[in-house]
Amino acid sequence: MSILRGETLRLRGWAPKAGWLAWRNYDFQLTTYAILLTLFGLAMAYSNSVGSSHVPLTLSSPFVRSIMWAVIAAVVLGLTTAFDYRWLRSLAWPLYIINIGLLILTLRIGTGTGEAGAASRWVVLGGFAFQFSELAKIIMVVVFAAFLADRQSKIKSPWTIIGALVILVPPWVLVLMQPDLGTSLVLVATVTGLLFMSGASLFWLGTLAAAVVAAVPFVWSKMADYQQARLLTLLNPGADPQHAGYQIHQAETAVNAGGIAGKGLTNGSVALPVSTTDFVWGVLAEELGFIGGMVVLILFGLLLWRLLACAWRSTDPFAMLIGCGMATMILFQVFVNVGMVMGLVPVTGIPLPFITYGGASLVSLAAGLGALQSTNLRRERPEW
Amino acid sequence: MSAPVESYRSEPKNVYRFGVFVLAVAVGITALSTRMAYLQLVQGPAAYQAAGDTQETATQSTPSTRGLIFDATNHPLVTNVVDYSVTVTPSDLPLDQEPAVASRLGSVLNLDPIYIETTIDSTTGSLYVPVKIADGISAQVARFIQENSDVLPGVKVVVSSKREYLTKDLFSDVIGYEGQITASQYANWKDLGYSNTDIVGQAGLENQYEQLLRGQYGTQNVLLDAAAKPIPGLVNTTSSPVPGDSLTLNIDTYEQTIAQTALAWGIGASKVTKGVIIVENPQNGKILAMVSLPSYNDQLFSDGISDTAFQKLISDPDQPLLNKAIGAQYAPGSTFKLVTATAGLVAGPPLTAPPENQTVGSLSPSIDTTSTLLSQPFIQIGQYKYKEWNDKGWGPLNISQGLAYSSDTFFYQLALLVGLDKLTYWADQYGFGKSTGIDLPETATGIVPTNDWKQANHEDNMFTGEIMQAGIGQGYDASTPLQLLDAYCALANGGTVWQPQVVGSIKNGATGVVTNIQPVAMNRLKSQDGNPISPQVLTDLRLATRQVVTSRHTNNLVDLPIKVAGKTGTAEFGNPDKNNVLPYHEWFVGYVPANPYVDDFTKPDSQLAVLAFVYGANTQANVATEVVKYYLMMHYKLKGDPFNSHTEGYIPSWVTRTTNFYGLSAQD
Repeated sequence: MSILRGETLRLRGWAPKAGWLAWRNYDFQLTTYAILLTLFGLAMAYSNSVGSSHVPLTLSSPFVRSIMWAVIAAVVLGLTTAFDYRWLRSLAWPLYIINIGLLILTLRIGTGTGEAGAASRWVVLGGFAFQFSELAKIIMVVVFAAFLADRQSKIKSPWTIIGALVILVPPWVLVLMQPDLGTSLVLVATVTGLLFMSGASLFWLGTLAAAVVAAVPFVWSKMADYQQARLLTLLNPGADPQHAGYQIHQAETAVNAGGIAGKGLTNGSVALPVSTTDFVWGVLAEELGFIGGMVVLILFGLLLWRLLACAWRSTDPFAMLIGCGMATMILFQVFVNVGMVMGLVPVTGIPLPFITYGGASLVSLAAGLGALQSTNLRRERPEW
Repeated sequence: MSAPVESYRSEPKNVYRFGVFVLAVAVGITALSTRMAYLQLVQGPAAYQAAGDTQETATQSTPSTRGLIFDATNHPLVTNVVDYSVTVTPSDLPLDQEPAVASRLGSVLNLDPIYIETTIDSTTGSLYVPVKIADGISAQVARFIQENSDVLPGVKVVVSSKREYLTKDLFSDVIGYEGQITASQYANWKDLGYSNTDIVGQAGLENQYEQLLRGQYGTQNVLLDAAAKPIPGLVNTTSSPVPGDSLTLNIDTYEQTIAQTALAWGIGASKVTKGVIIVENPQNGKILAMVSLPSYNDQLFSDGISDTAFQKLISDPDQPLLNKAIGAQYAPGSTFKLVTATAGLVAGPPLTAPPENQTVGSLSPSIDTTSTLLSQPFIQIGQYKYKEWNDKGWGPLNISQGLAYSSDTFFYQLALLVGLDKLTYWADQYGFGKSTGIDLPETATGIVPTNDWKQANHEDNMFTGEIMQAGIGQGYDASTPLQLLDAYCALANGGTVWQPQVVGSIKNGATGVVTNIQPVAMNRLKSQDGNPISPQVLTDLRLATRQVVTSRHTNNLVDLPIKVAGKTGTAEFGNPDKNNVLPYHEWFVGYVPANPYVDDFTKPDSQLAVLAFVYGANTQANVATEVVKYYLMMHYKLKGDPFNSHTEGYIPSWVTRTTNFYGLSAQD
């Protein structure tokens, strides 16, 4: 009941600024870039569904599923935009608990695919496979933003960093147990970016970074063989052409094949591993070429610019940190995924936001962007 | 836009940190764009084309349906059946689940889980290559495994085709079996589209007609994923498989069965293990039956023979895997006297290296049907005595009598008279010492000893005694059973040595067109001056071989209602026993005229010739003759006692035998 009352109060406070004034603060550019990137993702899903052999589309084709997920994502975007983001700050801890519950559920009943065989990353519900680790990325942005916003008065204290790490560890360990190295890295990158942007002590952050570097040999010894192999392969791709290095070789070959203008949608012919997900950039580069790839990269740049602009204009540290967290997460994923396909970083299972086929990723991004738009709408003072 | 505006800003933002973030975005996007430009604009599609022949696709073959084999009456002898095998791909089986999967699989397949785990762990190949766990499992088990694939990660059921040999050991020596392609076969056949993992014919017709039976494997290009495994659905068929040709034999199952029955009885009665029976049509060389005992069950190979079973087969002194009709050579004994007799009756060219007491330039000596030679207890050459087989002799004999009594001393003298060159010439004419050309993998070609042969093998010329032995099919002489039968077929058909044919017709696997195999003449007998052999010589010899039977040299064979001509052979070999008696093989090769009920051997019209050979028989009466008699009685469905009751005591099992074969009354 108290929640209901609180909602009424807040709605009352917000009501005078409803209408055109609120929509003046809506960042249409941000949504536009997101939609354009999603359209590229749909194009890739179409290419992967139809292929050069023109397989007929069915209800289970990635393309049809992607359209469905895009519609769901649009609904989620609308709902989260309408939802007052300040509620999220109070809901952060319940969300954190739910998040951990979902990750445990994934470990218990999840199924997996891929090279490790033992992986359990997907929860199949009513015919839909959902990856809760994608949702975890967004939830953890909200949780860290709430935590750091609450600590603005003592942000320079090393306890801020230690507290953030204590919050990080449970979901991080659960994700690693799946095992999902990619998502665990995204979580680390996100918390690092948020600590930096929240104004945490650079001295203590630097100290922590040094400690992590010192711990590398220990972590290396604990890594799964395939994870070690991937790192080693990055250092010397020629050494293992059939397996991990073969993926990189094929991916680079696909990017080579694209040339300036690409082969055209569905005309890609270089065999790529997991071409609908982790290596989708290879398909995109081969079919749409340098021009198409640059369009997508520029769209990502613009999207990140708008995310940072939203953060900069925000009137509330929680809102700012949501924007910065989203930006960190997307930047990291874009850089690692695209860089992986082009041989700049090791092969890790990190999806390319908006482009990679996968409902969980798209819906989670929509929820995050909706929350950010919600901060725009509820900014007390317009920028202009 | 004044004082209250400032108050809304709850926190001052760190412009430097935002600046660093913006810089990070710029650096990140720039780095990616630069790399992109390098890969796509600097390297570009040229690099892709250079890498174009790397592993993105692979050519796979799709097996064709192997041709079937039918008997002469179109009953299938071999079919193809679906074979389910179980494989485990190690890379798809998590280590921590391996014991559980092995125990589940073990209970389904009735295998020891430890064996399954050991098999998986001890594989030395790539982790992506499936390891075969079990073969020939039932369709029911295969379905069960597939339905439970969620608890059996990495386990796959592979469906393939295998041979089902329907006649157990009856046709094994003819049909053969399949096995893993050998290194040399692969080297020879890889241009024909064979892969180094193919299963190919390794013996018999499966080997001889391998390429026809196989047809043409199809090829398809498959796109490979990162693990170099084909991606389902991305398959581009470049050529479809062409089914293999089917073979129809000249042998029918009934003839093969009665031949095997007769031979099995014969070797059982004489308490030995090895023997051969071959039936051939002298008019065209068609093989009507071919049995070599002991044999083996070729289905063992199709089912995947175990190492111990295979070792047992190849270390068996009776050589069950060897088709002794074409793969082993034995002294032909007195059956070889046909060659010596022919050499005697046909005039030869002027002599260049004459035997003793002949002058150079004179005609090579010959005899006629009225000439006689004196048979005697023995002929002494130096210190050696060359004995007559009955140690007495029969006085002067003409050639018909010589053959009828199978007089050794007659043929010793004849061999010396005609000389080694003429003797070996006629042996060659009849096809001894060389391939018969049969459409089976023939591994023995016999020996016709000449001076050259003896120089090559024993560094000396043939001694006089050895020439005498060569005249009666002893000493160095060696012949495969089929060579001997072919020679008598040439006698029976008036002078043509046909190429023996097991396969009668071939049905094209793609078009269904049936091609009948035409008989091929290996040789038409001609004398040394190049003229065809005189028909009269062969007529005289046919009548002489008939006299072998009518003289009761072959006991009661003459009492059959059908008329048989032929020649026995008893060939000593090996080491003498404690009574200084050598063990001996027994031969009989005979033929019947086109009308078997009319005693007319002047016409070369025989359509049935039979050879029986019993290894080391050592019986008093020639058991090979009895085998042929038994076969002929079953072939012509004759009533009566096939077991030669008047020879009771020679082979006791003949009289105790009670089994009833094919309507023949057993011992009364």
